[in-house]
Amino acid sequence: MGRYVLKRIGYMFATLYVVITLTFLSMKLLPGTPFKNANRLSPVQLNQLKHFYGLDQPIPVQYVKYMWNFIHGDMGGSFQFGMQPVSQLLMAKFPVSLDLGFEAIIVGTLLGILLGIVAGLHRGKALDWGTMAVSIFGISIPSFIFAGILQYLFGVQVRWFPVAGWSGFASHVLPVISLAVYVLALVARFMRSEMVEVMSQDYIVTAEAKGLSTSAVVFKHAVRNALIPVITILGPLTAMIITGSLVVEEIFGIPGIGAQFVDSVVTNDYPMIMGTTELYAALFIITMLIVDILYGIIDPRIRLSEGGQS
Amino acid sequence: MGNLLEIKNLNVQFDIFGAHVQAVRGVSFELNVGETLAIVGESGSGKSVTSKAIMGLIPNPPGKITSGEIFFDGSDLVKYSQKQMQKIRGKDISMIFQDPMTALNPTMKIGKQIMEGLIKHQNLSKNEAKTKAAELLKLVGIPNPDKRLDEYPHQFSGGMRQRVVIAIALACNPKILIADEPTTALDVTIQAQILDLMRDIQKKTGTAIILITHDLGVVANLAQRVAVMYGGKIVETGTLEEIFYNPKHPYTWGLLSSMPKLHAKTDKLLAIPGTPPDLSDPPKGCPFAPRCPHAMKVCVDHMPDYTKLSATQKTACWLLDERAPKVDPPATIGVGGE
Amino acid sequence: MAMSNEELTKELFTPADISHAASEKLSSEVVSAWKDAFRRLFRNKGAMISLVILIIIIGMSIIGPMTSKYSADDQSLIRSNLPPKVTALSWLPFLNGKENGVDMYQERGVKQDFWFGTDTLGRDQWTRTWDGTRISLLIALIAALADMFIGVVYGGISGYFGGAIDNVMQRIVEIISGIPYLVWVILLILILQPGLLTITIAILATNWIAMSRIVRGEMLKFKNQEFVLASRTLGAGNGRIIFRHLIPNSLGMIIVNTMFSVPNAIFFEAFLSFIGLGIRDPQASLGSLLSSAYTVLQLHPYQTLYPGLVISLLLICFNILGDGLRDAFDPKLRR
Repeated sequence: MGRYVLKRIGYMFATLYVVITLTFLSMKLLPGTPFKNANRLSPVQLNQLKHFYGLDQPIPVQYVKYMWNFIHGDMGGSFQFGMQPVSQLLMAKFPVSLDLGFEAIIVGTLLGILLGIVAGLHRGKALDWGTMAVSIFGISIPSFIFAGILQYLFGVQVRWFPVAGWSGFASHVLPVISLAVYVLALVARFMRSEMVEVMSQDYIVTAEAKGLSTSAVVFKHAVRNALIPVITILGPLTAMIITGSLVVEEIFGIPGIGAQFVDSVVTNDYPMIMGTTELYAALFIITMLIVDILYGIIDPRIRLSEGGQS
Repeated sequence: MGNLLEIKNLNVQFDIFGAHVQAVRGVSFELNVGETLAIVGESGSGKSVTSKAIMGLIPNPPGKITSGEIFFDGSDLVKYSQKQMQKIRGKDISMIFQDPMTALNPTMKIGKQIMEGLIKHQNLSKNEAKTKAAELLKLVGIPNPDKRLDEYPHQFSGGMRQRVVIAIALACNPKILIADEPTTALDVTIQAQILDLMRDIQKKTGTAIILITHDLGVVANLAQRVAVMYGGKIVETGTLEEIFYNPKHPYTWGLLSSMPKLHAKTDKLLAIPGTPPDLSDPPKGCPFAPRCPHAMKVCVDHMPDYTKLSATQKTACWLLDERAPKVDPPATIGVGGE
Repeated sequence: MAMSNEELTKELFTPADISHAASEKLSSEVVSAWKDAFRRLFRNKGAMISLVILIIIIGMSIIGPMTSKYSADDQSLIRSNLPPKVTALSWLPFLNGKENGVDMYQERGVKQDFWFGTDTLGRDQWTRTWDGTRISLLIALIAALADMFIGVVYGGISGYFGGAIDNVMQRIVEIISGIPYLVWVILLILILQPGLLTITIAILATNWIAMSRIVRGEMLKFKNQEFVLASRTLGAGNGRIIFRHLIPNSLGMIIVNTMFSVPNAIFFEAFLSFIGLGIRDPQASLGSLLSSAYTVLQLHPYQTLYPGLVISLLLICFNILGDGLRDAFDPKLRR
């Protein structure tokens, strides 16, 4: 297990390195200068800017410098915010997005697991059909449409919750639901099929043959085993939450990096775009690593067989 | 000596894809204290369903017991609720399964899997249950029991896992142990060990065993009485000696003939031609008639009654009717390899 | 037993003429796996309804824009922000051309009907919605082709040949899939300009990963099975084995997974267009239509209605059809 984790961490850094290099290269591949507003600047200013970024140096030198600065937490300055350091801006806005993402994942996962268990235990009955119908809608309808519907109905029409903003419990409700619906739907589907699979296993009959109560069979034997594979969808979920947060933050005017990112794209704020891209990639890659390690810890078959060999 | 278990006219039906599969059709038998009864038959004959019915583990839907009684200790288990059955299962009647590789929960320690039943049925504390679990592992011949309690199923070999399954079944000193093909999934050398273990345990605990199998070698090894099932019915029942040395039903003849023998005169394995009947549309007469080399016109539409051949042997076959022609059992039957 | 012995005559106790072969006969007709799968699919009501809705949407995306005399970028501020109106159905509250009780068509002196209304620039939403649907369906087609060609070939080669080739190819896949889809697309958009071409390249570059993994798994599963070995001993070459045995056996999985990657691609295009990284004005896409409709959501909510409805229907129907296909091709997975 220890060696496996080390190998995985090695892979993680390799992937991160590739991402950083790719973002650097894509910046170099941009036609003309990376400064979109170059025509508004005087030649003197432009040269100053170029010199400031070291853009007058050869690309390999720039690359080494870029990596060096990156390792030291310097991701350049944002065009949009008068050259304020990108890392500072990201750090200021990231907690809000993290908050939103976590709330959505927790609400969606818990409800999804619950619904999945219920549906899996009542396979083929009305409860199952209902849950699966909800889940198909949840998976299909894009979060920006949910966000719009919720905002219009509960924000504009009945005014139960604020239309926009991120202060206080009430303002969290609509954006979190908009994001959590997809999580809920995906988890419920997955959990249901795992429950059905597990409930048909021989060891469930063994547990029943011991005379355990139905709730003991379901919770101590079935749910535990069904939950293990559900961990694996945490990776795709993170990617989906990142994607969803861009639009949901934009729609509800939440001051997180998602909405910021959309603004950066619209204003061609390249250092900001690159910084955010790298942050997203890191978030995704770290989640995948955590999922892998968590899976190993929770499933004794992996934990012990890997441990036995190394 | 009273009957421990008495099954009367049991019928079990499965509703699958609109068809009503009558897996068990009017099965009756009894089990005495401390004896071993083998239920023999090929797959689909209804033997496993019968055992599941006794445990109250017929999945419903699609299966249900349509009629019949299962008397245990003077009360009818068919009428019991799930809650009542849960008090019987694992305590008075327990079960060993065919495939030890899948019968254990892969993510739960062996010790805990044994302790669960003890805690539920005998109100033991965790520590008491743990001590008892270690004793059980020792009883089923697993070395180092204290250490192995904390291990997971994948750390055990197939034979060792089957010993664990047996330990779980024995945990609460059940009066009846149902063993559903307990050796089928194991290597031949391990099979003998598990059979020895079961015989040994019966001697020590006096548990009655219902042995479900298609392997007559296993039957000869363990059973005192045998019931032969075919097409959801018991076609012949008797003591081990009666079934092996004086069988009267052509299906039993077929089963015995198809057993490989060491000093066989022919170098060919004998098979029974044909396949078992489709129980979603069961035959009106004897279910074996389409495959029976001695089938008569009467067999097709009329189910034969049991003919009592001795105090213990009963056979359902028209050949035993006085009007039927005399048919001698084939020379190919004969016991085991001895 | 109830039967009396008198009924049974002596004659009944003569040997019956029973053919043993009869009991070996299969009771039901033999159906090929494909026929069976399609029979199961056609019996699935949800999948069939979805298929019909999809066909209607595809039909509308082709003929829809032709039925309006306005093209997607005909602007006129005189007819801006008109609510939907269908004269024949004007008794329905949402098709009477009224907004807050005022008939906007009368007010502006607009004679003709706009079935889906108009946007802030007075462009016909009907034309624009179906134009956008075309983009979505085009993306769906590209995604399916990327899956079928790149994914199947890549996974097939990797799985069939194995060894060093497989090792190198899988490392490449690992790197590509280690980075989120979104990041790849944004990097591409940094280099190229937002638009249909960029989205197409992004889909071609990344959409096939899942398919290649599945096909590789299928290849690994089948390539050492007896029927393949038998064919090999009979002298079949790699090409014959791949195209006659392995691909046909994996085709069910390939179709099912194509069906699942299609809604993902449609969603991604709409999403990118929504945040301004995809299709941009004046070209219409369901995502960009929604994005501009949201800016006037509180004043003219109907502008969101039709693009939102069409994209939701597209995604729901593709997903249900995908589920139906999966159930049809692999009954084991039907849980």
